[in-house]
Amino acid sequence: MSKIYKFLTTVAFMWLSVGWAWAQYTVSGSVSDERTGEPLIGASIILKGTTSGAITDLDGNYTLNLPGTDQRELVVSSIGYLSQTISVSASMSTLNIQLKQDATNLEEVVITGLASSVKRSNLANAVSTVSAKELTGTTTIQTTDGALYGKVAGATIRSNGGAPGGGISIQLRGISSLQGASQPLIIVDGVYINNASQRTGRATVSGAGAASQDDGANRLADINPADIENIEVLKGPSAAAIYGTRANAGVIIITTKRGVEGRTTVSVSQDVGFAEPLRLLGVDNWSEDKINVFFPEARRSAELERFRSAEATGNFIDYEDYFYNNSALLLNTRINISGGSEKTKFFVSGGITSEDGTIKNTGFDRYSIRANIDHKISNNIRLGVSSNYVRSNTERGFTGNQNNSGASIGYSLAYVPNYYDLRRNEDGTYPLNPYFSENPVSVTDNAENSSEVNRFIQAFTLDIDLLKRPNSFLKAQVSGGLDFLQNSSQVYLPEFLQFQKGSANPGDVLVGKQESFNTNFQAALVYNWNLGSVNMNSQAGLVRLDFDNSSLFNRGRGLVPGQRNLQQANVQEINQQFVSKIQEAGIFLQQEANWEDKIIGTLGIRWDKSTLNGDPDNFYAFPRASMAINLTNFDFWNSSVVSQLKPRIAYGETAGPVGFGQTFTPLGGTNIGGLLGSTVATSIGNTAIQPETATELEFGVDAGFFNNRISLEATYYIKNTQNNLQNLTLAPSTGVNSIASNEAELQNKGLELGLSGTIVEKSNFRWFSRILYWQNDIEMTKLGIPLYIAGGFGSGLGTFLYAEGYSPTTIVGTPADPANPGGFTILGDAQPDFNLSFTNSFNIYKGIEFSFLVDWRQGGDNINLTSFLSDSGGTTNGWFGDDNGDGIPNGRQRDPAPYNNAGRWVQDATFVKVREIGLYYTVPKTTISQWFGNSVQNVRVGSSVNNAFLFTKYDGYDPETSTFGAQSIANNVDIAPYPTPRRIFFHLTIDF
Amino acid sequence: MKNIAKNIGFALLTAGLLFSCNPLDFDEIQDPNNPSVASVTNNASPEQIQFLITGLESRHRSYVTNISQSWNTFGREVWYLNASDPRFQTDWLGQNGRIPDNSYFGFGSTGGGSWAIPYQAIKQADVLKQSSENTQTITATQKSAVIGFAKTIQGYQFMIPANFVYQNGIRMDVADPLNPGPFVPYAQALDQIKTILDEGFQALESSGTGNFPFKLSSGFNGFNTIASLQQVNRAITARLNAYRKDWPGVLTALNGSFMNLTGDLSRGPAHPYGAAPDIFNPLFYVPNAAINTLIVVHPSVLDDATPGDLRVANKFLKRTNPLTVTSDGRPLVGTHQDARWVNNTAPITFIKNEELILLKAEAHANLDQAGDAVTAINIIRTAAGIGVYTGATTQAALINEILYQRRYSLWAEPWGHRWIDARRYDRLNQIPTSYDGGTIFTQFPHPQAELNWDDYVGN
Repeated sequence: MSKIYKFLTTVAFMWLSVGWAWAQYTVSGSVSDERTGEPLIGASIILKGTTSGAITDLDGNYTLNLPGTDQRELVVSSIGYLSQTISVSASMSTLNIQLKQDATNLEEVVITGLASSVKRSNLANAVSTVSAKELTGTTTIQTTDGALYGKVAGATIRSNGGAPGGGISIQLRGISSLQGASQPLIIVDGVYINNASQRTGRATVSGAGAASQDDGANRLADINPADIENIEVLKGPSAAAIYGTRANAGVIIITTKRGVEGRTTVSVSQDVGFAEPLRLLGVDNWSEDKINVFFPEARRSAELERFRSAEATGNFIDYEDYFYNNSALLLNTRINISGGSEKTKFFVSGGITSEDGTIKNTGFDRYSIRANIDHKISNNIRLGVSSNYVRSNTERGFTGNQNNSGASIGYSLAYVPNYYDLRRNEDGTYPLNPYFSENPVSVTDNAENSSEVNRFIQAFTLDIDLLKRPNSFLKAQVSGGLDFLQNSSQVYLPEFLQFQKGSANPGDVLVGKQESFNTNFQAALVYNWNLGSVNMNSQAGLVRLDFDNSSLFNRGRGLVPGQRNLQQANVQEINQQFVSKIQEAGIFLQQEANWEDKIIGTLGIRWDKSTLNGDPDNFYAFPRASMAINLTNFDFWNSSVVSQLKPRIAYGETAGPVGFGQTFTPLGGTNIGGLLGSTVATSIGNTAIQPETATELEFGVDAGFFNNRISLEATYYIKNTQNNLQNLTLAPSTGVNSIASNEAELQNKGLELGLSGTIVEKSNFRWFSRILYWQNDIEMTKLGIPLYIAGGFGSGLGTFLYAEGYSPTTIVGTPADPANPGGFTILGDAQPDFNLSFTNSFNIYKGIEFSFLVDWRQGGDNINLTSFLSDSGGTTNGWFGDDNGDGIPNGRQRDPAPYNNAGRWVQDATFVKVREIGLYYTVPKTTISQWFGNSVQNVRVGSSVNNAFLFTKYDGYDPETSTFGAQSIANNVDIAPYPTPRRIFFHLTIDF
Repeated sequence: MKNIAKNIGFALLTAGLLFSCNPLDFDEIQDPNNPSVASVTNNASPEQIQFLITGLESRHRSYVTNISQSWNTFGREVWYLNASDPRFQTDWLGQNGRIPDNSYFGFGSTGGGSWAIPYQAIKQADVLKQSSENTQTITATQKSAVIGFAKTIQGYQFMIPANFVYQNGIRMDVADPLNPGPFVPYAQALDQIKTILDEGFQALESSGTGNFPFKLSSGFNGFNTIASLQQVNRAITARLNAYRKDWPGVLTALNGSFMNLTGDLSRGPAHPYGAAPDIFNPLFYVPNAAINTLIVVHPSVLDDATPGDLRVANKFLKRTNPLTVTSDGRPLVGTHQDARWVNNTAPITFIKNEELILLKAEAHANLDQAGDAVTAINIIRTAAGIGVYTGATTQAALINEILYQRRYSLWAEPWGHRWIDARRYDRLNQIPTSYDGGTIFTQFPHPQAELNWDDYVGN
C-alpha cells in the first residue's frame, strides 16, 4: 500500500508540475547498479525541493528538463538501493548515476500508522521486514508462516507437527495471554484475515478429546507465499498500538505484489521435489528373552509362538519405516503476469501446489488465483483492488492422541512388536491387532481425515488527494475488505475397522461445515504540512470490524457398509452447532513530527470498543509515543566509520479480545430419554469483563558502519500484560465451576539483537551475512486467584504451574514436593532460553547464488509422551538395553530415579536446524539472447532443501511439536506426531 | 480548481455514505446459541419449567460413569482396564504407593464425577426450585410437586460427595456461587440431607394425588405418580439412614418405600440411555469385543463366589479371550466382563427393590432382630439359587452374611457399595489387594478447587 502511495504520489505531483517554468536546460543519462552494471528500470530522479523529475525507462535511461539555469540538486532513488543526492548544473548534459544496493534496507518504507508510512531509517520501533526474496527466495515453503523461521528476531515459531497443510504457531515477544493462543493479528492488503485453527473433528472421532487435539492447520496456509511482496512484523504494543484491540500479540502485515508500469512480464516457475522424514527414531528388536521379561506369564507362550514363526520366515517389519519412511512427491507451479501503463497496473498470478505427505494418503493441494489492479481514476483519485480466490484440500491423516479408538498411527505403533504382521491380507482384509484396539495399516489405507477450504479475499483502497499545495497536502484514504472462508471437513472411520466392529455402532463419520465472513472498513484523513523545518504528518480515522462465524458438525455412527452419507447411519446426531457474531469499532489519531530526518517523534492514540466486552459501549484507550534520533544526520557528525546511529525509544498499549460468550450465563441443551432438558451451564457470565491489555516500553539503537555496509540493531523491551483473562475457578460445590475474570498480570522482558552486513563485496563475489539473536523471559507478576496447576495430562506426566513469581510455562510434576508452590517438583520450562539464527547468501561470479539459514533454539523443554507410549509398549529403540546393568531393562527404568514419575518425560528440546539451503544459477542475459532471442528475458534454475538437517539430543521426531496446536502455554506436549519432512526441490523459472 | 471541487465532492459523498450507516454503532448481540438463566428465574412458563425438570434428570445421571468406574475399583468389585491410559490402573489401584491427592487422576482439581458433577445436579435443583417458586403460571400444588421432586434428587446427589470425602466433610450451603458455606462433618451433613429428603417428602404430600404434573423420562416409568415418587423418596431415605446408623429410621423409611418382599428384585427408578443426541449406557461393552479398554470383573469376586450363584451366571460373561493390560510392570488379566446390559440403550436403575430388602435385613440385624433379618436374607438367597441361610445368627455373623450378599446383589452398581459398606463397618482391610499390588483408599481429600476458593476468599 505504502509503496503504491509513494510511487503514485510522485507521478501525480509530476503531472501538476508540468508547464511551470520557461527557461530550462536538459540533463540525461542512465542509472545503473553499481556492482553488476545492470541498468535500473523505474528509478526516479527528482529535483530536490520540488515535485518535478523523471523516471528511467526500460534501458535505464532518463531525460530531465530543469528550470532556470542555476545549479540544482537531484535526488536519485530506486527501490532496494541507497538514494543519492547529486549536484547538476547547466554545463552538464550527461549524468550517469550508479546506485548501491541497500543491503540493510534503510530506505525501505515501513507502515507505522494505519494510513501512513515512514522510511526505515527514521523508524523508532524495531519492526522486522521480510522481503519476498527472504521469504521464498531460497526454497519453496508450503505455508507462509512456515517461511518465517529465523527471519524475525523476537518470533518464536513452532510447528505443531509435520502433517501437510501447515499448523504453525507464531509467538512474538513471549506470551501475552493465558487463555488465548497469543497469535498475532494478520492483515493481508488491509484485510483482517481469519487465521483460526479450525476444528476438523478428528479429536472427537478418535476419542482424544477437545478440538485442540484435532491437529488442525491454521488458515494462513491458504495464502500463496509466492504472491507476497513483503511482510512487516510489528512485534509488540509499542509498534502495534494503533491497531488497538487484537494487537496484544503483535501484528503481521502482509503486502502482495502489485503491477509496475512498463513492459508486461510473464514469469513461469516450476518446482519438482520430494519429501522424506527428517528424522526417524528406530524401533527395538525383540528376542525370546525380551518377550519373557516384557509380557505377563499368561501371554508369553502366544508371543513366543508368534516370534518363532516370524523368525522362521524372516518376516520382521519395522513399522516406523513402513508408515513414515516414504518419499512424497512435491509439485509447485506458479505463473505471474505483471505490467501496466501509467494509468493502470496489474498483477495476476496463479499457483498450484500439490504436495503429498510422507504418510500414505495424506497431502496438501492449494489452487490460488490472484488479481491485483491499480488504476488512476483521475489525477487525484487512485483505486487499488486485490482479489484472491483459493481452494485448499488437505488430508492430514491420523496421528497424535487418541482414546480407545486406535485412530492414531503413532499411538498404535508404540504397542506393536516387529514380529507380528499387520499388513493387508491377500483377500483384502486386515489382521486383528492383538496389541492395541485397532490395526493402523487399515486406518492408514481406509480412513479419511480431510478438509476442503474455499476462500475469497477481497481488498480495496481508495486514495483521494483533497488538497495539494507545494508545502502540504491533505488526502483521504478509504479502504476495506472481506475474507470469506468456507471449510468442509470430514473424518471417516469405516465400519470394517477392528475397533469399529467392536463397538455398538460400527462406522463413524463426522461432517463439518464452517463458514466465516470477516469484513473491515477504514476511513482516514492524512494531512502533511511543514512547521518551519519540521515536517508534520497528522492522521485521524475510524475502523470498523465485523466477524461472523458459524459452524455445524453432524455425526453418523453405525454406517451402512461402504457408505458415508449421514442418512445411511444408525445413529444420526448433531454434534455441534455454534454461531458467533462480533463487532468492533475504533477511532485513531496520530501525529508524527520529523525534523529534517534528524529527530522523528510520534504520538498517537486509539480508542476501541467491542461487543465482546462486558460493556460494549465503553471505549478503551490505547496510546502510543515514540522517538528516534538519527545522530548521523546532524551536522556535527562526521565519522566515516559510523554511518548511522539511531537511538530510539517507543511506548505503546494494546489489548487482546475477550472470548466470545464470556458475558453470557447460558442454559445448555441436553437430551435424556428422548426429551430435551435445559441445564444450568457450569460457567457463569461476567458482565463486567474487560479485554486484557498490554503495555510495552521498548528502547534500542540502530547503527550502521562503513556506509551502512554493516548494520547492527539492538532492542530491549519490557512488555507487561494486565487484566489477563483467566477463569476464576469457583468452588465446584456451588455447582458452577468458573467465571471469566481479569485478574492476572504477566511480564515479558527480552532482548533482540541483529547484526548483518556485506562481508565481501567484489564484482564476482558477494557475501551477505546476518545473525539474529533473541531471548525472552516471562514471569507471572500477579495471579489474583489461588495458584493452580493445569494443562498437559496432569501431574503424573507433566503439567504447568500458574503461580506468582513463576513463568506460567513452568513444567511441574511428580514426585510431590510440598516445599514448592503447587506441591510438585519443578521439572523445566517450555519457553526457550534464547534463539539464534544465522543467514548467509553468496553471489558467485555473475549468476550463481548460494544461501543457507541455520536456526538454533537453546533450552525449552518438551513433555515427551511419545516416549511414554513406546516404553509402555516395549518398542522404544533400546528398550531392552540395560545401561546400569541392574537386570531391569532401560524401558522400565527411565531416569530420574525412582523411575516412576513425571521427570522421565520432561526433556530438553534444544536443537539446531539447517532450515534452508539453496543454490541457483541465473543464465546470463547474453546466453539467453543467443538461445531465445527477445522472447525470453530470464532463466533461472536451482535446487534447494527445506529442513535439511536436525541436530538435537531430544528423543523424538522433532523437538518442535505440539499435540494441542497453537497454545500460549501447553504447546510443547509430544504425542505420536506426524514426522516433520525434509523437502528437496529442483526449480526452474522462466521470465518472458 | 475544478479538480479540487471534484475531489472534495467525492470526499463528501464518501462521508455521507459513512454517516448514514454509522460504523461506530453496534447491534445488540444476544447469545445466539443458548437461552439465559435469567430468562427462567422470573415468571417462567410451564414449558420452561418442564425443560428445567428434564435438565435435572440429565444432571442427575451424570455421575454414573465416574462412580461406576472408580468407586467400584476402589472396592475391588471391578478393574477398569484401559490400555490407552495406564493411570486408570496405576492411580486408581494405588500401585507403587500412590495415594489420592487434591487433584487426583480421574477427578481433576474439581473432583470430577464424584464432587463437581453431583453438585451441578444440586445446583440445577436449586434453579428449578427458584424458578417454580417465582412464577405465577403454575398452580400451588404443581409448585409443591416440583419442589418435592427437586429435593428428592438433591438428597440422593448430596450423598455422593459426602461418601467421596467421608470424614473430611462437605459443604451443604451452596446456593450462592460467590459465597459457599463451610464444610460440615459427615454425620452432621447426613442429618442435613435427611432434612432435605423429609422436606421433599412433605412437599410431595401436599401436592395432591395423581400423576406428577410434568413429564418425566422413561427412567421413571412406574414411578411417575405423586405417590410413587414419595416411595422413591423414602427408598433413598432408607439408604441414607443406614449410613446414619439410624436403624429404626431405616425400617420406617422402608415401609413408605416401594420395597416389595415378593416382587421383582430389580424394580426401581432408572437412568435412561439412548442413541444420539442422548448418550449411550456407559457400562455397556460389546461382548467379547477385541478392544483394550473394558470394565472387567475383579478376580476376587469370582474367587469368592458361592457355586451356583445365579447372580454370577447372569451378571458376568466369560470372555473368549481375556484382556490383559500391563502397567508399571504389572499385568492385570480380566477374564469376565459385565453382562447386565442387553444393549447400549439399556437403562441403569439407581435404587432397586433388592437393595431395599437387604437394607431391611441389615436394619433387623443391627437391632438384634435375627429372625426378621434371616427372613429377608433368604429372599435374596433364594432368588440367587444358593439355598437358605444356615449359618450363625449372632449379629456379627449376620452382618458378615449381609455384606457378603450385598457384594453380589449390588455388584458394580453406580454407587460403589462395597467400598462404602466396608468403610462404614471398618473392614477396608478385608478388600484384597493381592491381585494388583495396590492399596485401598479410605477417603479422598477435598478437591484442590475447594481449597483454592477458601484461599482466595481468605479463610
